[in-house]
Amino acid sequence: MTLKRSLMLFPVSIVLGLLVWEAIGRALPKALLAPPSAVLGRLLTMTGDGALPLALLGSIQHMAVGYLLAVVAAIPVGIIVGRNAAVATAVEPLLNAVYAIPPVAFVPFFVIWFGLYFEGRVALVFAMCFFEILINVLQGVRDIDRGLLDAARALEVRGLALYRKVVIPAASPFIFTGLRVGIGRAVNAMITAELFFAAVNLGQILKNSGNAFDTTALFAVILFVSLFGLACQEGMRLAERLVIPWHHGREA
Amino acid sequence: MSRRRAWALRLAGVVVFLLLWEVAGRMLGNALFAPFSSVIGGFPATVRDYKLFSALAGSFQQLVLGYLLGCVAGIVLGTAMGRSALLDGLLQPWVSMMFVTSIASLVPLFIIMFGFGLAFRVAIVFMSAIWYVLLVTYHGARGVTPDLLQTARAFEASRTQTFFKVLLPALYPYILVGMRIGLAHAIRAMVIAEMYVIVGFGGVIYNAGVEISTVSLFGALLTIMVVSVALTEMLKWFGRRTAPWYEERQQLSN
Repeated sequence: MTLKRSLMLFPVSIVLGLLVWEAIGRALPKALLAPPSAVLGRLLTMTGDGALPLALLGSIQHMAVGYLLAVVAAIPVGIIVGRNAAVATAVEPLLNAVYAIPPVAFVPFFVIWFGLYFEGRVALVFAMCFFEILINVLQGVRDIDRGLLDAARALEVRGLALYRKVVIPAASPFIFTGLRVGIGRAVNAMITAELFFAAVNLGQILKNSGNAFDTTALFAVILFVSLFGLACQEGMRLAERLVIPWHHGREA
Repeated sequence: MSRRRAWALRLAGVVVFLLLWEVAGRMLGNALFAPFSSVIGGFPATVRDYKLFSALAGSFQQLVLGYLLGCVAGIVLGTAMGRSALLDGLLQPWVSMMFVTSIASLVPLFIIMFGFGLAFRVAIVFMSAIWYVLLVTYHGARGVTPDLLQTARAFEASRTQTFFKVLLPALYPYILVGMRIGLAHAIRAMVIAEMYVIVGFGGVIYNAGVEISTVSLFGALLTIMVVSVALTEMLKWFGRRTAPWYEERQQLSN
């Protein structure tokens, strides 16, 4: 009953929300809050004339490189550290400390090391994803059922085989959570980087629209990026179901 | 592992980290990677040159204002959505949408809507804190046992009474967890907003970042790290004091 009802409510929610937004948007001056009718129209024209897809194509590059580097670095580090209780205890305060620093605060440092362009943006995406993935992998490896490891020892599964057959499959739900949260952060970092390094792609459209007080275009780009973020996370959820189908439905 | 051994390991981790930082810093020099000793030695000058603490105090006010408003709104909306299937259905799609929206992408829009001043910074912090508080409170509210509410109804408690005397205490541990996650995001958002318009503490980071030396930049980063860790620990301490059963719940939802 609840599922059916929430499915029925979904279109009602969208329509009602848009109506409220439309009413507020029309009451206020257009430069303050563009009404959704204008925003959706603009979203369609900006998608149709290729401006947004082209910009996204540019944005995806540093996002993908930064995200993949973070995944490739965080998963092995998380597994190795997670398997070693002493190392895990020693690095825990350091991880918490670095995690407490807002990632954008590293931008000036990244500019010095990697410059204002592609490499700098990749560095920010990496920094914003790496810890998020690492923390999940770490937790997953540390939470592995002792019984599984004891059984593996009894069967003399050692070395790489232990990781391939026991540790990684057992930790994979957490690894996938890390990948999913991480890709959300990557989309976030993608647009953040374009606003805080030299403005390019989607960030440039945002900045220019802001300077022109064009809230219609601003809303359109924000909506576009959010939809892209949702799509990425849902894609990752789908991948999770395909790769580790046994975990489906046990998610908290 | 004994407590003592755990603390020794943590201490060793920090010492090794600082040593590595020092060695790397001396090899690379202040311009690229200031060593820990230079950052600490240069800290008084950083504080003086950038009026670090008054910038921090100013930012802190906006942070607290936006954060508390976000917490209150998140608690009220989260509880309402958790207890009413209708509100849940009506608001859920919009909440999910806001949840994935990048705070940085809102900055240019919020500047137009709220200007460069107090309202802008408060609004950005608000928007970053509210969704995490809302989500955790929502999950807590859905799990409140019907017994509690039926008892409240049996004693003819009004809606307000039920909210304040039954729901809020039951949700308290969840609210504390949501507030802790929300705080981390609020601090991030504050720095994003302030670095963009170059004011307050974010402005200090921006200005220190364009200097030739990284001494002041690292000093500012260490300061925001200490503030962030201290505020989080304060929230945890408050939670342990006011709700001793908080610890176990916290582990569940981490």
